[in-house]
Amino acid sequence: MSGVSERRRPRAPARRGGVTGALGDLVGGLVPLSVRRLQGQIEERLRKLPTALNEYGYDAFGMRPEFLRTQSLPAALLYRHYFRVETHDIDRLPSGRVLVIANHAGQLPFDASMLGMAMLLEADPPRIARGMGEYFIPRLPFVSVAAARGGALVGTPENCISMLERGEAVMVFPEGVRGMNKTFSKRYELQRFGLGFMRLALETGTPILPVGIVGSEEQQPGFANLSGLASALGLPALPITLTFPWLGPLGMLPMPVKYRIYFGEPIEFEGDPSDEDAVIEEKVERVKGEIQSLLDRGVHERKGIFT
Amino acid sequence: MEKVLVTGISGGQGRLLTRRLLENYEVCGVDRTPWESHPRGVEIHVVDLRKKKFEDVIRTEMPTAIVHMGFVRHFRAGQDLRHDVNVRGTKQLLDHCVNHGVQKLVVLSSSYVYGAFPENPYYMDEDSPLSASRSYPEIRDLVEVDTLASAFLWRYPHIRTCVLRPVNVLGYYVHSMIGQYLGEKRVPTVMGFDPMLQFIHEEDLSEAIALALEHNLQGVFNVTGPGEVPLHTAIEETGGSAIPIPETVMRPLFDRLFRWGLIPYPAGAIDFLKYPITLSGSRFIDATGFRCLFGLEEIFQSVRR
Repeated sequence: MSGVSERRRPRAPARRGGVTGALGDLVGGLVPLSVRRLQGQIEERLRKLPTALNEYGYDAFGMRPEFLRTQSLPAALLYRHYFRVETHDIDRLPSGRVLVIANHAGQLPFDASMLGMAMLLEADPPRIARGMGEYFIPRLPFVSVAAARGGALVGTPENCISMLERGEAVMVFPEGVRGMNKTFSKRYELQRFGLGFMRLALETGTPILPVGIVGSEEQQPGFANLSGLASALGLPALPITLTFPWLGPLGMLPMPVKYRIYFGEPIEFEGDPSDEDAVIEEKVERVKGEIQSLLDRGVHERKGIFT
Repeated sequence: MEKVLVTGISGGQGRLLTRRLLENYEVCGVDRTPWESHPRGVEIHVVDLRKKKFEDVIRTEMPTAIVHMGFVRHFRAGQDLRHDVNVRGTKQLLDHCVNHGVQKLVVLSSSYVYGAFPENPYYMDEDSPLSASRSYPEIRDLVEVDTLASAFLWRYPHIRTCVLRPVNVLGYYVHSMIGQYLGEKRVPTVMGFDPMLQFIHEEDLSEAIALALEHNLQGVFNVTGPGEVPLHTAIEETGGSAIPIPETVMRPLFDRLFRWGLIPYPAGAIDFLKYPITLSGSRFIDATGFRCLFGLEEIFQSVRR
């Protein structure tokens, strides 16, 4: 953080040699060219990240591009070939600190990973979308490490401020589970927004970038959310969908809808971060309105849910 | 010339600090063990902080400043003795400061007093609660020492009191708990966890303590080093190999091994291998202009087996 020792390049990962190396090359040769190209693209984009890394290749919060290099391919494949994501106006993503605010839907947070992929694969320079995770994540073995290496942290105000102060792009879904686990009949109807992100934006002087994600709202149509039973079981939500729980955990997987991600104009707000809720809510409503109009535009422009 | 009395002067950190302080100060010290071949001109008194003889030392030496770092940080001596030496020793020392005209006091606390918790935010400042006792009751004496010193700071504002909370200290001379842990050949870790750890080199910590004296610092300050790495990186860089153990096995195992005296740290320490305590050191840097000299690689190199 405060060292004078000069910053060295992260160490290159050791190359495997011998039999395993040859085997790896053989298996690698069988992978389709498009997949290898995509992997190459991920690696190239990760090298251009503006995030400061220490001599061991970690950022201040335990994010590690080397981890993303080996683990991003599945999400990138979903991005390119499953959801066939179309990204609009990503050049509006400002450099430096920014709060990326988007709608949240679809039972499982594929919208978050697609937005993250868009910022990694399409933005210039590429950015890591820093996720603000649930409070139970640090308690889970393996999950906690994976989340940190991928750039996510527990969503406390202090963590969000620390990341913004270091010039990161923090991704927030102010609807939370209210949006993610809403029923199909409420698709493209934004649910109540939390106010926390606006207070943080005012406190740190961070621009807000509204983002509308079209597609996720139809990926896994829910008919009910048994929130009472969910809280009794200690779960964030318990949705009943077309395929869940009827097909078991597999029933949570999304349909191959087409994703469209619309980036709005960044908005700078001014005001007292400790104002009463009504004042903050006015500002939040403006962000919500922007996202709603991005969504309306996307729904209007598309020809079908899957195309 | 100002005279500084250092408690715990015979320890590695005490010796390093003495050499640094001799540039600008007259130095004397107390410890429970002697310092063979100590530098000329440095008076070493072998006393117990809880005994009356310690007050006699202060009365005759008449130091203008005290650096208090004479704590028992291991568990070998038994819980009660450790608690008594640390807490009652500190209380006596604070009383002597008031009664014998000491003008400056630096108390060396540690980052551990915040405690390791899943909800810990990154880069905590000095106002964060000291919750270590909740999950690691064996070090509650260190929390009490910190609290005593912080209360003293407000009650006697004419004495320039400074509480320093440094991150994990490593180096050739200091014997820290983390140094001992990383010094093992096979290092037990909690399977599926890899928290970020901050480190500072022992020489840099000496420099920070000296700066606190020179700047007549008053208040509570985190002291951070050049950066942070995941636990497993630290283990690898210091030449050990990590042995990940599932937590459900590790806790009862550590409980028993500690009780039988086979390992030096109790099960409460396990949380420190799961959750991060990362501190913001900007308050100290702003107050003193402190820059650390040793980078992470040099720190790990200094304790590499």
